[in-house]
Amino acid sequence: MNDTKDVVERKEELQERRPDVPVVPPAVDIYENDDEILLYADMPGVEKDGINVNIDNGRLTLSGTRRMEASGAANWEEFGEVEYRRVFSVPQTIDMDKVNAELKDGVLRLHLPKSEAAKPKQIEIKTA
Amino acid sequence: MRTRISEFDRLFGSMDLLRNRMNRLFADFDRLYGGDLQGMWREDYPPTNLYDFGDRLEIRAMVPGLNREDLNVKIQGNYLEINGTRKSDAPEGYEAHRVERPTATFSRSFTLPCDVDADRVEAHMKNGMLTLIMPKPEAAKPKQIAIS
Repeated sequence: MNDTKDVVERKEELQERRPDVPVVPPAVDIYENDDEILLYADMPGVEKDGINVNIDNGRLTLSGTRRMEASGAANWEEFGEVEYRRVFSVPQTIDMDKVNAELKDGVLRLHLPKSEAAKPKQIEIKTA
Repeated sequence: MRTRISEFDRLFGSMDLLRNRMNRLFADFDRLYGGDLQGMWREDYPPTNLYDFGDRLEIRAMVPGLNREDLNVKIQGNYLEINGTRKSDAPEGYEAHRVERPTATFSRSFTLPCDVDADRVEAHMKNGMLTLIMPKPEAAKPKQIAIS
């Protein structure tokens, strides 16, 4: 009888991680052509220093934190400090060394160039 | 009799478990969609914060991907209107795999807590945030009253 009791009354052991700022996924657009994959992510209010792009083992982690300076008395506040974070799987054909990013108007643009081997090639047909 | 009680115990136990699961689900949902909705289907786009500094009001609006030309700000007395268009910035010659960032025309108006001096309003854009610094006219500024 004690066994059954243990099973049903087992407490939830997974501790919820409570970060000091809420974590939300940013809205992204993903484009691709023969040369690269291009990723746009909306990160309004995030400074360049607050952005982290990490590629590890085929996983691309994008994160950026918006900090708000202390200011006057708030009449209303519809947004606050936030961490934008999102994880993507990237194909092995990306040339990791040439990945570059730019930040403009609160939009992060991440260029993921394809390695030479992965680019489509035109095959020339020779006449015999 | 003992077995009956343990049956009930088990029943309630599993109901507790279900309730915990549901609570977790709702909390996850709130975190995902509650805190920072950016979609333009919301009527109150762009999201704004309004601060009162005593001698001026400051409004901050979240407008990622927009630049100066895309935005229009109108102020009259204590009425403020922000409207604009978010155009698509899709690159040419690329195939789109995922498009989540909205493109739309928006307009939002506010009633400010007091009149502002429209001639001295400053507007700045940085990192996809619009900041409007709106000085209050002399009459609306807080005054120090000397006690005699």
